[in-house]
Amino acid sequence: MIVVVRKELRDWSRDGRSIITVLISSLLAPGLIFFLFNNMAERQRSVEDVTIPVVGAANAPAFVDWLRQQAGVIVTEGPTDAEEAVRTRREDAIVVIPQDFVKNFSASKPAQIRLVADSSSQNSRPKVQRVRGLLQRYNAEIGSLRLIARGISPAVATAVQIEDIEVSSSQQRAAQILGFIPLFVMISAFTGAMAISTDSTAGERERGSFEALLVNPAPRIAIAAGKWLAGSLTGMLTVLITAGLLFAMFKQLPLQDLGIRFRLGTPELIRTLSVVLPLCPLIVAIQMYVATFAKSFKEAQSYLSFLMMAQMVPGMMATMNIMSTKAWMYYVPWIGQQTLLSDVLGNKPISPVVFLIVAVINLTVAVAVLRGTSGLLHREKIIFGR
Amino acid sequence: MIRIENLHKRFGDVRAVDGVSFGAADGQVTGLLGPNGAGKTTTLRMLYTLMLPDEGQILVDGIDAVVDPQGARFAMGVLPDQSGLYPRLTAREHIEYFGELQGVTGADLRSRTDQLLTMLDMTAIADRRVAGFSHGERTKTALARAIVHNPKNVLLDEPTNGLDVMSTRAVREIIRRLKEEGHTVLFSSHVMQEVSALCDTIVVIARGRIVGSGSSDDLRLQTGQENLEDAFVALTGFEAAGMPS
Repeated sequence: MIVVVRKELRDWSRDGRSIITVLISSLLAPGLIFFLFNNMAERQRSVEDVTIPVVGAANAPAFVDWLRQQAGVIVTEGPTDAEEAVRTRREDAIVVIPQDFVKNFSASKPAQIRLVADSSSQNSRPKVQRVRGLLQRYNAEIGSLRLIARGISPAVATAVQIEDIEVSSSQQRAAQILGFIPLFVMISAFTGAMAISTDSTAGERERGSFEALLVNPAPRIAIAAGKWLAGSLTGMLTVLITAGLLFAMFKQLPLQDLGIRFRLGTPELIRTLSVVLPLCPLIVAIQMYVATFAKSFKEAQSYLSFLMMAQMVPGMMATMNIMSTKAWMYYVPWIGQQTLLSDVLGNKPISPVVFLIVAVINLTVAVAVLRGTSGLLHREKIIFGR
Repeated sequence: MIRIENLHKRFGDVRAVDGVSFGAADGQVTGLLGPNGAGKTTTLRMLYTLMLPDEGQILVDGIDAVVDPQGARFAMGVLPDQSGLYPRLTAREHIEYFGELQGVTGADLRSRTDQLLTMLDMTAIADRRVAGFSHGERTKTALARAIVHNPKNVLLDEPTNGLDVMSTRAVREIIRRLKEEGHTVLFSSHVMQEVSALCDTIVVIARGRIVGSGSSDDLRLQTGQENLEDAFVALTGFEAAGMPS
């Protein structure tokens, strides 16, 4: 059995293409999350500290002074052609104060302020909103002062008060992305093992090397187990790399900028691994069983991509909160890991017994499936069918 | 020593092997000669235990291969019909892998591997990956891994099929050597010259049945034909001699 493991691993280690696939797939998830988070944090920061270019600041010195006094606001001299600057996206939003501002303002007539913005630009939207909010606040403040000067309560002018209750904050968006982490880690277990699972079964059939291999007196179960072990090792290796990278990346992320209180340290890493690693042997066993039916590498890959989709469904549903957690879910392979991982990342306390039970269930099912595969190796159609 | 009694195998309505009996003795080369589709490969597959006969008995050195396939496999070295290699491994790694699967290890394995590589004139390509090998080099690799454990009984399914002159000679050389060392060699072929040049006993098979057996002289005598080719045609009942490969 060890002989088979060594051969399969050696064979795999020379397969440059599948190793690159593993590396890319394990880099993809951390990279994607890193990018998304950084982007979000960046935007959040850029909204808080806003630079407002003002054209014609001399036309309303009082207003500009008020702007400068607001927290996080920096007022700069705007470009002469404001519209052009926004159109070419050099600026997100520009405030233009016309010459007749003071005249209308003094006469208590509506004094115009122009806000130049491009509503088709996604990135500038939060900033434009911020500037608009500032302008409206100024408007309300002055309006109230005027009413008070005339002996009227400003409350009279407020017929309806709108209270914003924001449900989709960027924190929540961030939490949603975090919810994908379990899925990413588990998919890496799948892709990492795929090369050996297919090559050592469908690949053997395609090359016609099964016959020669099975003529050897080594028992079928030992041959199948060797291939299975080799596949499990590569799957686990991929999981280790992916999880390691994810956690290393979280140390670098500006999570506090997003207001996320989220801790991912070594204990979480260890718990994540203790959830996913026992899953690898099962994934490999199932992959091998399915791939043994395929006559060629390509056929096996298309079977396995179906399998992967099927496996992703419960994960997606969990991520999108369609299913609520129920006790039985822990004990169903794959779904159980998904649920456990969300608990781990959500810092819920879990008894180590649950980890152990889940691992034992997985290994038991894996061995059963492996026996099935070994049984397939006795079938004449599988051995000779090319 | 190999003994086959009344072997039957059918696939659906086709009787691929229909009551085949023959023996192969130690220190002798036995040739299974027959046109394509005669049942040679099916017979051999049952013999090397990857196919279960519907009926009949197979004895390999006295071990019943149907009852104890594992034991029979220990007594055999097989070059099967499909002899796929692993493109990313070298010739030496192929031989060593199969040696280890057969339970040969350590210094024994290394010296045996070197011996086979020299015997088959493969030392120059021993540490190259087989992905770039020619057909002859592949067959030699497959042959070497089949006999790495020095099995008592050697089964070769069409070993020289599609080989060039040099490779064919190397394979023949191996077969002669195995015979000298007292092995039982059983090989199948559809090439007349090959069989007549190498074999002590020829078993002619057609449409799943044994239609003649003995030395090439016996066969000529049996059919009353001057040369083996005519004898073969007479036995198999085919019009054209030397079936297309």
